[in-house]
Amino acid sequence: MIKNYFKIAWRNLKKNKVYSFINIFGLALGMSVTIMITLWVVDELNFNKFFENHDQIAQIYQSQTANGQVGTGQAIPRPLEFLLRKEYGDNFKKISMSSWNTSMYLQYGDNTISKNGNFMQEEALDIFTPKIVKGEANGLKEKNSIMLSESTAKALFGNENAIGKVVKINNKSDMMVTSVFEDLPTNTDFDLLEFIMPWKHYITRQSWIEDAVDSWGNNSFQMFVQIADNTTMEGVTSKVLDSKIKANPSEAEFNPQIFLLPMKDWHLRSNFENGVQSGGRIENVWLFTIIGAFILFLACINFMNLSTARSEKRAIEVGIRKAIGSNRKQLINQFLSESLLVVLFAYVLSIIIVLLSLNGFNYLASKQIVFPWSNIQFWAFSLLFILFTALISGSYPALYLSSFKPIKVLKGTFRTGRYAALPRKVLVVTQFAVSIVLIIGTLIVMSQIEYSKNRPIGYDKGGLIQIPVMSEEFIGKQDFMRNQFLASGGVVEMSTSSSPTTAIWSNRGGYTWDGKPEGFQENFSWTEVSAEYVKSLGMKIIEGRDFSREFATDSNAVLVNKTAIEYMGITNPIGKFIRDENLENPDPPMQIIGVVEDVITQSPYEPVKEGLYVFDKEGNANYYNLRLNPNKSVSDNLNSIERTFKTHFPNLPFRYDFIDEQYAQKFASEERVASLARVFTILAILISCLGLFGLASFVAEQRTKEIGVRKVLGASVCNLWILLSKDFVKLVIIAFLIATPIAFYMMSQWIQKFAYRTDISWWIFLAAGLGALVITLITVSFQSIKAAIANPTKSLRTE
Amino acid sequence: MIKIKDLEKFYSTDEVRTIALNKLSFNVNDGEFVAIMGPSGCGKSTLLNILGLLDDPDGGSFEFNGIEVAGFNERKRADLRKHTIGFVFQSFNLIDELTVYENVELPLIYTGVKADERKKRVKEVLEKMQIMHRCKHFPQQLSGGQQQRVAVARAVVNNPKLILADEPTGNLDSNNGNEVMDLLTELNEVGTTIVMVTHSEHDAKYSHRIIRMLDGQKVTENVLV
Repeated sequence: MIKNYFKIAWRNLKKNKVYSFINIFGLALGMSVTIMITLWVVDELNFNKFFENHDQIAQIYQSQTANGQVGTGQAIPRPLEFLLRKEYGDNFKKISMSSWNTSMYLQYGDNTISKNGNFMQEEALDIFTPKIVKGEANGLKEKNSIMLSESTAKALFGNENAIGKVVKINNKSDMMVTSVFEDLPTNTDFDLLEFIMPWKHYITRQSWIEDAVDSWGNNSFQMFVQIADNTTMEGVTSKVLDSKIKANPSEAEFNPQIFLLPMKDWHLRSNFENGVQSGGRIENVWLFTIIGAFILFLACINFMNLSTARSEKRAIEVGIRKAIGSNRKQLINQFLSESLLVVLFAYVLSIIIVLLSLNGFNYLASKQIVFPWSNIQFWAFSLLFILFTALISGSYPALYLSSFKPIKVLKGTFRTGRYAALPRKVLVVTQFAVSIVLIIGTLIVMSQIEYSKNRPIGYDKGGLIQIPVMSEEFIGKQDFMRNQFLASGGVVEMSTSSSPTTAIWSNRGGYTWDGKPEGFQENFSWTEVSAEYVKSLGMKIIEGRDFSREFATDSNAVLVNKTAIEYMGITNPIGKFIRDENLENPDPPMQIIGVVEDVITQSPYEPVKEGLYVFDKEGNANYYNLRLNPNKSVSDNLNSIERTFKTHFPNLPFRYDFIDEQYAQKFASEERVASLARVFTILAILISCLGLFGLASFVAEQRTKEIGVRKVLGASVCNLWILLSKDFVKLVIIAFLIATPIAFYMMSQWIQKFAYRTDISWWIFLAAGLGALVITLITVSFQSIKAAIANPTKSLRTE
Repeated sequence: MIKIKDLEKFYSTDEVRTIALNKLSFNVNDGEFVAIMGPSGCGKSTLLNILGLLDDPDGGSFEFNGIEVAGFNERKRADLRKHTIGFVFQSFNLIDELTVYENVELPLIYTGVKADERKKRVKEVLEKMQIMHRCKHFPQQLSGGQQQRVAVARAVVNNPKLILADEPTGNLDSNNGNEVMDLLTELNEVGTTIVMVTHSEHDAKYSHRIIRMLDGQKVTENVLV
């Protein structure tokens, strides 16, 4: 029986090549999108699952309130470690403090490389269980030890054995390699953990870190924990929530709340809005899951429409089968077998499409997804997926076709009724409504990105590079190097800063000024800069003056940004002082000498943070900012800069970043969404058009006789074209009317999450509607014109 | 074999209600060959559809092999149909996508006959119908007479007790038509009951009894043998 089903299905496929192609290819496109999105979603959901203890791992987070606004982040103070260990130790199996992931120079002999890593406590090895390939299991016992990832060891030592070798870090400390661990996979939050050094080394590296040991206000560290076996994340959070306030009531004004963010939330749900967890990448996971489901549905609709459209041809067969004894169930099974066969072919084709496009997809999504050949779950999913798709696309045609009354079809009186085409019309409208929503959505995402990209950023990011200068070798050489670079001819100005141009690394509070409102809890971004900072970046002074080497007093001067002036509530700021609230602080107060235009350092979608640019008296430079010579080519400039750099730092690799590229990174996440959405939209349109093409050819075929009669009676090709196309145009217009409010509602919600956002303009809807119309006309016209120019004598003879 | 009494069937459209069968009653005995004649629209085909369990009467009783079948649901009808009734249509109604062999095999598949047995029986019946040499061909590759022979083969392959033939020669020339009528007569001679609707007096002469209908009612009944 089954064999018979498949036999007839196969012959039907062979006989109707165009329909079969549309069905199989359309479904294959839809299925490959679904498979790709599923692989992506699984990758996202499996983020950090690499860690054995992932169910028990959490990071300690802190929320603090300033001026009624709750800010949440990973930064915590050092004394919290001792408090949690001593008072709340029962709740944890392991606790480890950690530095931020920082970039450092690792030198062995003549070979210096730049790698990223953390300083952590020994317990981190029990929490994260990195796989040790060589050396000691606990490589953090000794203060001057370093653990390297396999690739770092390879880059540094080649094929030599790394264990026992001494590596110079930032030209300062000598660390001995104690173990080598397997590289951590990219779908973890520690893919940039290329070395680990002991925390006990870190706390002696710089005096401010040492001093932070009892400073509850210095939130500059991270803490990872593994909770005890008999506890839950929520349970532990409820215990430690007020630990900081209880231990240190003087912090009460900021209402610090300590809580655990479970590892499963790090990647997907790490956004906080005014203290409340508010999603994150999980929204993209949902978005793409929905898009994937819809695209598959669009492809299934093609199958349904083409199968039912051809029903008159199949009706006789149904009648005969019923007459000679088939019951309805057997017919349903037969039609489902046919859809199963089509889906099976489509699946094979879709796997090929996925394999061919996986690289491109990985590039768009910035992922490293590998096709899961050996994953049983994937093949089990595939089986279910095939059955599910066959059921979705095949059930309506099966129910419809098997319902025909044999006496009617066998007598030849069978005609599909006036309303028989209605479900097909509804499905076409659905297809186009989904496609139009996708078009509008993609256009709005793109226009929001474009809008934010065009936002004035407050400096000139083109022709600007930064060189990280964290190695000890750079200390005290700022002015010297500036002169060297200027003399090289590749640079027209150079400055230094304590943080990169595109990020804020330090925030400070605890200041007072004349007219400061009572109870105001200020928090400024804090950047220490050299005298030429404004000039080298191309920032604008809107009031007062720039730093100047002419005035010795400028070492106590400060530039503030425009937002800070409004924030502080002062008028005529020039000459006013910002003082430390702590009267015992021996530093002189800072005098405002100028106001600069706001510079976007953080999110281009958010308001600029109130900021202070203070004169760097102590040489806290972490970056050189170099304005390239506009009269020379970039490569010439880079060559002369590198030559100068290598002359003075022969042992260090020449590392630099283009600021415009760094700035573009800020849009990466949204651009990824946009480019994926663009691809999916194009596929959705393509699938819908395939279906439309099939339906148009069906209608043209069905109306051959009518077209012939009309032609004989004098209808022109144009008349006939309009006749055959207008039904489809009507459907697209209905789809547009349905899609517009849905898209408008959804996108208004989406765009709310950006503080700096574009208006949703009417032309986007118009463009989407017209676009859909034009695409429809092109698709339909091919068939309708072909039918219209056919010789009428031929079509009239077809009876 | 068949006992119908006061059988009624109506067709309704929005405005008109047409009476297709008007309290029709007659019997058909086992092994009989009955021809039903009458002008177009007199209700012959409706009758044949009801007899073939393809359609349900609106009133009256229909006893098939001693069982009252009026009011059977679709499933029960299909079940009874596939085991006991064979159909021969004017327009042959072969499935274009299946070969001659597969078309004839189909009823056996639906009645759940095993593969070996199917092969044997299809071969037998095709040989009997002298169409075995065409068994791998598709219906469009055959002449009308050959197609109808295949259709008859399909109708009898299950050894049905009753064959319902709806103008079996209507689409055939006289030579081919006579061949088909001879086939039906042979089947009847070995015990198969046949009810045939026809316009042709010539064909009707092959039967034992002619029932003439008008406006859904029986007008006359001539016994020929």
